[in-house]
Amino acid sequence: MKKLESRPPEGVEVKARGLTKRYGAKLAVDDLSFTARPGVVTGFLGPNGAGKSTTMRMLFGLSRPTAGTITIGGRRLTDLEDPARSVGALLDARAVHPHRTAADHLLAFTQAAGLDRSRVGEVLDLVGLTSAAGRRAGEFSLGMQQRLGIATALLGDPGVLVLDEPLNGLDPEGIRWMRTLMRDLARQGRTILFSSHLMSELELTADDVIVVGQGRLIAETTLARFVEDNTTQAVTVRAAAPDALARALSEAGVIFAMQPDSSFLVTGTDTSTVGKIAAAEGIALDELVRVRESLEDVFLRLTHDVTEYGSHTS
Amino acid sequence: MNLIRSEWTKLRTVRSTWIAALSAVAAGVALSVLGATDLLSASPSDLPAGWDPTSASLKGFLFAQLIIGMLGALSVTPEFGTGMVGTSMVFVPSRSRLLAAKAAVVAAIGLAVGLVTTLLSFTVVQLMLKSAGLPAAGVADPGVAGALVGAALYLTLVALIGLAVGALARSATTSLAVLVGALLLVPALGPSLPGVLGDLFGRLWPITAGQSAYTVVPVDGMVAPVTGLIVLTLAAVGVSVAGHAVFRLRDV
Repeated sequence: MKKLESRPPEGVEVKARGLTKRYGAKLAVDDLSFTARPGVVTGFLGPNGAGKSTTMRMLFGLSRPTAGTITIGGRRLTDLEDPARSVGALLDARAVHPHRTAADHLLAFTQAAGLDRSRVGEVLDLVGLTSAAGRRAGEFSLGMQQRLGIATALLGDPGVLVLDEPLNGLDPEGIRWMRTLMRDLARQGRTILFSSHLMSELELTADDVIVVGQGRLIAETTLARFVEDNTTQAVTVRAAAPDALARALSEAGVIFAMQPDSSFLVTGTDTSTVGKIAAAEGIALDELVRVRESLEDVFLRLTHDVTEYGSHTS
Repeated sequence: MNLIRSEWTKLRTVRSTWIAALSAVAAGVALSVLGATDLLSASPSDLPAGWDPTSASLKGFLFAQLIIGMLGALSVTPEFGTGMVGTSMVFVPSRSRLLAAKAAVVAAIGLAVGLVTTLLSFTVVQLMLKSAGLPAAGVADPGVAGALVGAALYLTLVALIGLAVGALARSATTSLAVLVGALLLVPALGPSLPGVLGDLFGRLWPITAGQSAYTVVPVDGMVAPVTGLIVLTLAAVGVSVAGHAVFRLRDV
């Protein structure tokens, strides 16, 4: 029985290269390449059916890639000497025997990994399920099952954590807990890769984002960069003399549209430019506001474009 | 050893294992007793020549084997049903080792349940026969101890076949259907097939052949006990190889 060494966990890169999975005529994952770095939380974002779960299943050796590789520190999961110490997985929180207690569920995997059974109590404590240790997993709410799934993933104190929709089914307190946990684990130097189909779940959690749609990579960047690159700049401007303002804007050559409340939506420029155009013509402004697309809108637009593209080419 | 411990934990911590084990013993003994009761009013001269008190005391196997086969299947099908097998495979990426650990635990449970069912059925029925003034068998009688060991091995092999069927079918209901067919229907209906087929199924269907393992007096048309055990073992190896291949290669 191994006690866990008190060495800091070693995060390594999770790397996909040309990863492809074909089911019959359908390409679930299409030539996907990305890297998740140690020390940061990487959000793996895509609408349902984008191939996120399939990608994770290939990472865990549960399904075989049609082409390409996905590796943990350059090695496939099946080649790792001590998989439980290297990588923790949350695949499907409901994947527990409904009649087995939380503690027994964890004990079976503790033994499989050759870990000391004291780990069971430690991870239960870590996820706040100590009082539910003797209860059957089938009686758990989805939120508690998520916590049990995280506890299972953390048994071997692994350097890499890969979590499929970990925020799904959690209440607001649970979501905050999970976010804090992921950020803390990343700060310790671990690699955290978690999937979500909601941009809002990533906004406060992820440092890096990998966005997929229809099995293809749409973006791989930092969250800040992703926001900057993809949110369109727009300005709402309103004046007591809309006609004069329209003339000034059109002479300045900016793109704008009149809105029902007789304000103008100006795109492709910023507030200071619009302000100067108005000032040059001596037009007094009642309102000058920068508007920004929500990230959720950006995400929907990006993944929608892929869908469109896909249906045109197929 | 860690893996075997883990698989033992998985099985011992769900109620269905214990329900199956207890009902295999209970049903096995109860049906054996029931099968012997209609003999009790007979006089020794009514018994046919070559009557075998040992195999006559194990009639309950007919049903007990089905439960023991399901015990084997249930060591793997719930993992597929819930998806927990995915987590198991992350902890144990070598699927062959994972399945081998399951097989070791299933064999141990099958042997234990098989031995208890065999010894209880044998002891109770022999006591009944003796008190009715009928010829009874004792463990020290020639061939009896071997037949009892053969009986327990027969049930162990059925448990392993159940595991392999579970790995192939991935569902408890499908496994049950397959086991009912293989353990009950084919042995019952096979011999009535025309010509060579009937002869083949009547003698060499692995379950039928395996049942000769717990006979002391040779039965006409049945293979010898050791031959029977070998045929059943080969069949168990065959389905296990198939189950292993599918378990190892199929995406989960």
